[in-house]
Amino acid sequence: MGDKQKTKILILDDEPIVLKRLKPALEKSGYDVEAFSRSLEASNRIMEQDFDIVITDLKMEGLDGMEFLTRVKDRSPATEVIVITGFATMETAKESFKKGVFDFLAKPFKLGEIKDVVAKAEIKIKDKR
Amino acid sequence: MSTFTNLIKAVFKERKKTASQVPFTVIFGVFQKILEYNNQVLELMAEMGTKLGGAYIFDQQYIRSTCHHIADLVYKLIYNLNALAPKKYLKLYDALGAITSDIEEELAGRPVIPQAEYIMPYSLITDDFTDVVGAKNANLAEIKNLLGLKAPEGFAITIQAFKAFMEFNRLQAKMDALNAAWQKEDASKNQATEEIRRLILEGTVPQLLQKEIYSSLDILYQGVNPEETLLALRSSAMSEDGEHTFAGQYLSLLNEPRENILQAYKSILASLYSDSVMEYRQQKELMDYQESMAVACQLMVNAKVSGVLYTLDPRAPDREVMLINATWGLGAPVVDGRARADLYTMDREEPYELKSLDVVRKPEKLVAQKGGGTDIRMVHQDLQTTTCLTDEQMKQIAETGLKIERFFKNPQDIEWAIDHEDNLVILQARSLNIKDQVAKLVCDISSVLDDFQIIFKNKGSIAQEGIATGKVFIVKTEEDLDRFPSDAVLVTAYTSPRLGKVIKKASAIITDIGSPTGHMATIAREFRVPTIVNTGVATQLLHPGQIITVDARENVVYEGAVKALCYYEFAEETFETTYEFRLLQRVLKKIAPLNLLDPSEKNFTPSGCKTLHDITRYVHEKAVEELIGLEYDKTSDTAGSGRKLKFDIPLDLILVDIGGGIRDSASLSEVKPQDVISLPMKAFLEGLSVPGAWDTEPMSVDFGSFMSSLTRTFSSSMATPKYVGQNLAVLSKEYVNINLRLGYHFNMIVAHIAENLNDNYAYFRFLGGVTDISRRSRRAKLLGEILVKSDFRVDIRGDLVIARIKKLGLEMMEEKMKILGLLVSFMRQLDVKMNHEQEIERLKNVFQDLKNDHIKNVI
Repeated sequence: MGDKQKTKILILDDEPIVLKRLKPALEKSGYDVEAFSRSLEASNRIMEQDFDIVITDLKMEGLDGMEFLTRVKDRSPATEVIVITGFATMETAKESFKKGVFDFLAKPFKLGEIKDVVAKAEIKIKDKR
Repeated sequence: MSTFTNLIKAVFKERKKTASQVPFTVIFGVFQKILEYNNQVLELMAEMGTKLGGAYIFDQQYIRSTCHHIADLVYKLIYNLNALAPKKYLKLYDALGAITSDIEEELAGRPVIPQAEYIMPYSLITDDFTDVVGAKNANLAEIKNLLGLKAPEGFAITIQAFKAFMEFNRLQAKMDALNAAWQKEDASKNQATEEIRRLILEGTVPQLLQKEIYSSLDILYQGVNPEETLLALRSSAMSEDGEHTFAGQYLSLLNEPRENILQAYKSILASLYSDSVMEYRQQKELMDYQESMAVACQLMVNAKVSGVLYTLDPRAPDREVMLINATWGLGAPVVDGRARADLYTMDREEPYELKSLDVVRKPEKLVAQKGGGTDIRMVHQDLQTTTCLTDEQMKQIAETGLKIERFFKNPQDIEWAIDHEDNLVILQARSLNIKDQVAKLVCDISSVLDDFQIIFKNKGSIAQEGIATGKVFIVKTEEDLDRFPSDAVLVTAYTSPRLGKVIKKASAIITDIGSPTGHMATIAREFRVPTIVNTGVATQLLHPGQIITVDARENVVYEGAVKALCYYEFAEETFETTYEFRLLQRVLKKIAPLNLLDPSEKNFTPSGCKTLHDITRYVHEKAVEELIGLEYDKTSDTAGSGRKLKFDIPLDLILVDIGGGIRDSASLSEVKPQDVISLPMKAFLEGLSVPGAWDTEPMSVDFGSFMSSLTRTFSSSMATPKYVGQNLAVLSKEYVNINLRLGYHFNMIVAHIAENLNDNYAYFRFLGGVTDISRRSRRAKLLGEILVKSDFRVDIRGDLVIARIKKLGLEMMEEKMKILGLLVSFMRQLDVKMNHEQEIERLKNVFQDLKNDHIKNVI
C-alpha cells in the first residue's frame, strides 16, 4: 500500500461469525477494516468517520439494515454500500438498489465473491476521485 | 396446490374402492412429486455439506433456515409416499418428529447427547461433539470409530456433567469470587484457589450423574475382569489440546479401581484450579477464562512399552522426519518429561527408514500395581540399555501416526502404548501447532508442482476437499471390495452405496461417474476422504498400483507422491473450531448421514431412519417399489390412447402415452418406432431391434421341457391372469414401465431417464418360463452375469432375477436401456437352448459380441 491511504471498510452484521471470517480476509487483501455486530455502535461510528465502503446485513435486531444504509448514504453519499443478506428477495434487492446500493449479495456467499465485489467498488471510488 | 391435494384425495378415494381404478397419470403425478422433493432435499443437503469445505461465509441464520426447509420437504415426501400407498408408511412421521426435535435442540444451542444426559460412550462420539466431550475424548473416539485403530475402551463424562456438578454444589459464586480475586492480583488468590479445590473434592456428584456413571461402568466392564483391569481417568477440558494445549497441566489418574471413580472424577475436576494451572493461565493471560472440564474414563492399558510420537519434528519440520520416544512400562514419565527415553528419528515415507537412534539407559519403569495405583520398578539389567521397540513395531507406530495425521489434516502429537499382547494402542492424539513453521516447507508450491506430471485436471467435481497420496486400486466387483487395501486410492467407474464399506480405508476416491450429491459422496465427507467424482476418465487413465497424488482442492491428479502439497495443507487456516462450523456439523449429523445403505438389510425400515437423508432414501426406494407393484388401471382414462407399436419384431406391444412419450404427429391407431420419443423407451427399442438378437426360428422346445411348463401355473404377483399375454408399455418423455410376456417369461422393466441423474434408475425383473428348474436356474445365472457385467446390481432368487441401476448420467442410462432391450430380445428362448452348464459361458460371449457390435459404449 505504501504511502497511499488504505481503503476504509466498515462491516455491520449481527452474527459475529460473519465478522470473524470477513475481517481477516479483507485485511489480508490490504483493506482497513472495522467490524460491528451492533447497529447502534456502527451508526455512531459512521457519524464520526466516513468510510469508503460499508458492508451491511439487512435484517438485524435494533436498527434495521435498510435504515442503517439510508443513514450511511445521507451522511456520506460517496460511500459505496454492499448489502449482504440471508433473506434475499426481489423486493429487498430492488429497494436496496433504489437507495443507491452498490451491490447485493445473498448469504451464504463465497469469500472470493465478496472480495470481487469489494474490488469493483474500490475501482468505482477511485474513478470518481 | 389445491389441484395437487385433489389428486392425492383422488388417489386415496380411488384406491379405497378398488386398487385397479386409479388412473396411472394420477399415480405418476404423485411419484413425480416425490422425485422432485427428493431432489430438492438432496441438493439442499449437498449445499449444506459443501459449506463445511471452508470457502463459504455462512451464519446461524443460514443453518436454521436450511434445516427448516429440508424438514419441510421431507414432510412432503412422507405425505406423498402415503398417498401412493395409503397409510402404509405412517411410522415415517414418528421418525421425522424425533429427528426434527433433536435439530431444534441443537439450533437452540443445546447439543443433544444421544442416549443419556451426561455420558457418551466412545462408540457414539464424533468430532462435532468436541464441545460436549472435550478434544481429547473426541479425537480418541474418532481414531477408534472412524480409523478403526486400537484405543482404550471407555466413555466420556461430559461438559454438561461438569456443569451439573458445579451447579448442584453451588460453586459458581465461589468461582466468580475467585476470578475477581485474580484480576485484582489479590494475595488471597491462592487461598481462594485452595478453597475451591476443597469444595470440589468434597462436593456431591448429582444422583443422575452417579447413576449414569455406574451403568456406563457396568457396560464397560462387560467381559472384563475388574480385578485385572482398572481404570484410567484423564482430563478432557474444553480449551485443552486447542490453541492453548495446557499439555500436562491437568490431572490424569492411572490404574484406579472402579470403586474410586467418583473421587477420581472430582480430583480431575479440581485440577482445573491447581497452582500450576493457575500459573499457566496467568502467563497466557487467560485470567478470566471460564474453563469447563469433561473427563475420559477408560479401561487401563497395561503397557509393556510406551511413548510419544511426533509425526513431524515441531522444531524443525523441514527435516521431514518423525520422532518416536519410547520407554519400558507406562508412559507417564516420558510424557511429563520426568524420565529419559530412547529417541527414534525416522523417515516419513514408506518404508519409514530409521535415520538415527539414540538409546539411553532406562534404569526404572512405571508399572500398574495390583489393586490400584502405580509404582516404580527397576528395569532388568539386560534391558536397561536395549531398545524397547522391534523394527516392526517402530514401523507400525509410524504408519499409524501418519494415518492419524492424514485424518486430522495436521501433524500429530500421539501418546501410544504396546500392551502385553503386543497390540499397538493409541492413548491420545492432538495436533501439533506448527502453522508458522510449515510456511518454510512450502514457500514456492507452484515451482514444486512443475516437476510433477499431471494425469488429469478439472475433470468432474470435488465431493470432499483434501489432498492425499496413495496407490491406485480399481474396484470392479464385490470381491474387489473385500480385497481393498488400506490407504489405497479407490478408483471406480460408478459411485454406489455399496462402496460404503471400503470408503474409510481409502486415502482418496476418484470415480468415472457420479455426483457430489450422491450417497457415496456423503459417506466420503463423513470420513473426510478427499473425493473427486464424475471425472469420466479415471478408470481409463489410472492403472492398478500406480502411485498418484489427488489434489481435491484444485481438482488435479498428479503422477507420483507430491509431498509438498500434503504439507501445504497443514498451513491452511481452518475454521473448524468455530461454533457455527460445529453446529452445522452437528445438525448435518441429523440430516445427511445415510444409515440405510442397502434395501436388503434389516434396518431398512421407518424406525431404522435416523436422519432426514435416511427418510428421503427410504421414501425414494419405496416409491419406486410401490410404483412397480401398483395395480393401476391400465385402461380407464388412457384407453383411447393405447396404440399398437408397429415393429419388425412380432412383439405385439401396446403403448400408453401419459405425456410426451410419442410424437404428436404419430398415427392414432399404430405407432412407428421413430415416433417414440420417450427417452428410455426409445433406447430400449433400439436395443430390442439389434439385428440377429431376436431368434426368429420356430421355438424348438423339446418335449420334456414343454411338459414341465404345463405343470407350472402363472402365479406371478405382478401379472394377474387377466394380463397374461398382454405386452404393455406406459411411457412419458422420461419414464417407461414395460410389462412383457415373451414366450413363457414375464418381464418387467421400469426406467426413468432425465437430465438430473439423481432421478435416474432402471429396474429389470424377470420371472418364469418353460422348462425344468436346472435350465431355469442356468438362465437366471446367465442373465445375472450379463447384467452384472453391465454394472447392474443383481439379486437372484430361484429363477426370479431382479436387476437395478441408478443415478447415472443420461447417456449412460440410455446405454443401459439399450442393453436391456438387447437382452430381452436375446433371452426370448434362451432356457430352451441351455442344455449344459457350458452354455452359460458360450451365450454370454454371444451376447457380448452383439453388445460390442451394436451398442456404443458411453464413457
